[in-house]
Amino acid sequence: MKSISAWHIFLLLGLFGLFFIFYQGLWGDPSALPPVIIKEPAPDFSAPELYEKENIVLSEHLGKVVVLNFWASWCQECKLEHKFLLALNKHYEDNTDFVMYGVNYQDEDRLAKAYLKQYGNNFEHVVDLKGKISIDYGVYGVPETFVIDKKGVIRHKHIGPIMGDVYSDIIKTKIDPLLAEGATSS
Amino acid sequence: MTVELGHFAVVIALVLSVVGISTPMIGLKSRNGTWVVVGRRAVIAAFVMLTIGMATLFYAYLTEDYTVKYVAATSNSKLPIFYKIAGLWGGHEGSLLLWAWILSLYCMLAVIIHWKSQPVVMPYLIMIESIILCGFLLLILFLSNPFERNFPAPLDGRDLNPLLQDPAMVVHPPLLYVGYVGLSIPFAFAMAALFSGRLGEEWIKATQRWTVFSWMALTLGIGMGGFWAYYELGWGGYWGWDPVENAAFMPWLVTTAFLHSTMVQEKRKMFKVWNLFLSILAFSLSLIGMFLVRSGVLSSVHSFAADPGRGIFILGFLVFMLLLSFGTLILRSGKLRSTVKLESMVSRESIFLVNNLFFLVALATVFVGTLYPLLMEVLELQKVSVGAPYYNAVFMPVALGLIFLMGVGPYIPWRKSTPTNIKKLFVRPLLIAVGALPLIYIFGVQKPYALAGLSVVIFVLSMITMDFNKVATFWAKRQKVNRGQGLVEAYKSNPRRISGIIIHLGVIILVIGVIFSSMYQAEKILIMKPGEEVTIKSFRFRMASLYSVEGINWGGKEALFDVYEGGEIIAQMNPQKRFYTVSQTPTTETAIYQLRMGHLFVTIPEVAPDGTWARVRILHNPLVTWVWAGGVLMAIGAFMNILRKTRRKRSPASESTGMLPEVTQKVAADVTAGAVQQTR
Repeated sequence: MKSISAWHIFLLLGLFGLFFIFYQGLWGDPSALPPVIIKEPAPDFSAPELYEKENIVLSEHLGKVVVLNFWASWCQECKLEHKFLLALNKHYEDNTDFVMYGVNYQDEDRLAKAYLKQYGNNFEHVVDLKGKISIDYGVYGVPETFVIDKKGVIRHKHIGPIMGDVYSDIIKTKIDPLLAEGATSS
Repeated sequence: MTVELGHFAVVIALVLSVVGISTPMIGLKSRNGTWVVVGRRAVIAAFVMLTIGMATLFYAYLTEDYTVKYVAATSNSKLPIFYKIAGLWGGHEGSLLLWAWILSLYCMLAVIIHWKSQPVVMPYLIMIESIILCGFLLLILFLSNPFERNFPAPLDGRDLNPLLQDPAMVVHPPLLYVGYVGLSIPFAFAMAALFSGRLGEEWIKATQRWTVFSWMALTLGIGMGGFWAYYELGWGGYWGWDPVENAAFMPWLVTTAFLHSTMVQEKRKMFKVWNLFLSILAFSLSLIGMFLVRSGVLSSVHSFAADPGRGIFILGFLVFMLLLSFGTLILRSGKLRSTVKLESMVSRESIFLVNNLFFLVALATVFVGTLYPLLMEVLELQKVSVGAPYYNAVFMPVALGLIFLMGVGPYIPWRKSTPTNIKKLFVRPLLIAVGALPLIYIFGVQKPYALAGLSVVIFVLSMITMDFNKVATFWAKRQKVNRGQGLVEAYKSNPRRISGIIIHLGVIILVIGVIFSSMYQAEKILIMKPGEEVTIKSFRFRMASLYSVEGINWGGKEALFDVYEGGEIIAQMNPQKRFYTVSQTPTTETAIYQLRMGHLFVTIPEVAPDGTWARVRILHNPLVTWVWAGGVLMAIGAFMNILRKTRRKRSPASESTGMLPEVTQKVAADVTAGAVQQTR
């Protein structure tokens, strides 16, 4: 070898850079990071309710804190969090500024209804059969939960089941402060 | 017991791959060609062993042996036989075994075919291919073993993923693997050239057909994947810039660049280091693609289950292969100085240079888009997803440039061309293209990208027509036949050129299909009850009825649509919503009606439980069949290239550069002697 040219160095740097990224990538979970959608206005949707066949329109709930829970009857982890979701909705039962919807993700109506019959139900569910809403919200897998503030901005996202500490945390540090905020203040 | 036999056979194949690595090394060190003959036998035996391994798994599928974990995970007793066989590549473990089997098949064929004509290459070829095989077999046996048993055995299998229960999906993965793995042959020849110092044009000539064959398989594999996504996933689109699609597309781009730049080296002895680089890059990208798909670093619709252990192993193997190959390139390419310089910027070689730059820019676009989410994650920045808008914005101009070059590259002379020359060649087609613009506009195509695309396409088409006309007339006169036969004569006299132009024609047809089906697509999504109607463009869809249907391993609903155009019924279409009972997964079966080379496309993604209504998605994709017709024509062109007769010009010793190390010369002699002994 006579001389080291610039392209040799570039090539080696490129290779090692690539190896570094790949190695680091192995330890990350591609679906664990917050998506850009946080602090963005929540994508609006208008989709039928599971039982009523009447459309639920998200933008009609401006001025309220909205919790969206993406779930499906074929999802095992959803079953774990379900009683916490029921408790969450019960917790805010008397607060008219709070509304919670389930988003039934790529499911069969029949199975979704059987699921709710078995595990109980106290809130309404939007049907998202094509996964259109889920794509808008960047949902990778169920369950995922979004908290939207009174101005219609997504403020919090949780991937995985809501249970135990996560449950008390979401009430104290996520939903309560948002309920305290005014619809017009920043 | 049979599966244990297969397991054992694969263990033996691993041992044989180690023999394949070590014996050529010993042969080169001890200057004894008999060692290389041992290597050759190891390669053949490894293929036999892997075939036994594959056969025992097939047997397990056919006899419904669900004590085998992998079989239980990817099959079911209710599956049709066709899909039972396809279950082998329905998951991570089995598809890796298929990879390894194809690799050993390629290696064996290359060794047998080139044994006499390329004796110097043989020890390196055997060694490199055995290293790759060894890596794969280690991964299979220790981290992804398809032969593992399951106790207690389940009564029945978990079923093959219903999305994969489709004829296109049965052939799609093997075709892609044939493409990926085939690239290992030019890669091994390039490495052999670097190691042995025989850096002339010989390795390129020897591997040209292998490269074209791999390219053809990749083209067909990618096309088949697009076709599958189109009707089985019910997207209504054939390309989504998904990381896994990109993983197949990147080696394709580099291989295409490589096939073009090698022509320059053959004709003008230029781009030597560049060609070595491209052949290494092409195979590296198929390994990188495998890492991306199988390690779980990217989220994608088709990624396999993540497992960090596997990821680390594949990454380690990747690092080893890339450092070995690019390192050798850096250390050994110092000797290479292109003796020929570009004489003029207006010449075919400079067009090829631009072509290669464009391909590399295209590659960089896809590469960056694919890895960007990963990079953001590693740098702990905000998560982004890179979607179609990015690719369309960056990739489209590059593609347009490449299509334009198809009208220039094959027709401009080598070395240097004069202004009169250029005028004579290009003025008329350019005028035709510009002149056609207002006509296309009046005809209804008014979007800027579509207009630009179509005028470039018309330019290239008129170049091709003029050229075909010229050569056909020439050969018709010379052989005293009609012009159709003249074209056949032209193919006989210069098959590589004619088959290349046919591939270009295929690309043009594909591009026209893409322009129309993507820019002039019409879509409607709505809820319909039987008896209701909807109009899309000039078509009227009436849902006649909605009823239950049942298959062997699924149940579901089907809708019947009457399609009218201008008051007349032109078709009846029946899309389905299926539910696969064993794996508990729903699928959407598309109904497609072909009309004027476009498609009417109907799916019912949702049906009311009581069967009174369905959510309906209707698409009209004009000229979409051209996309696949173009792909098929590209493959036909490639096939014509492979099937051509070689004109044997013997150029043995004169070709060698004189830099040939003494050792390899000695081995070469011994290897040839060994081969002679063997044939006796």
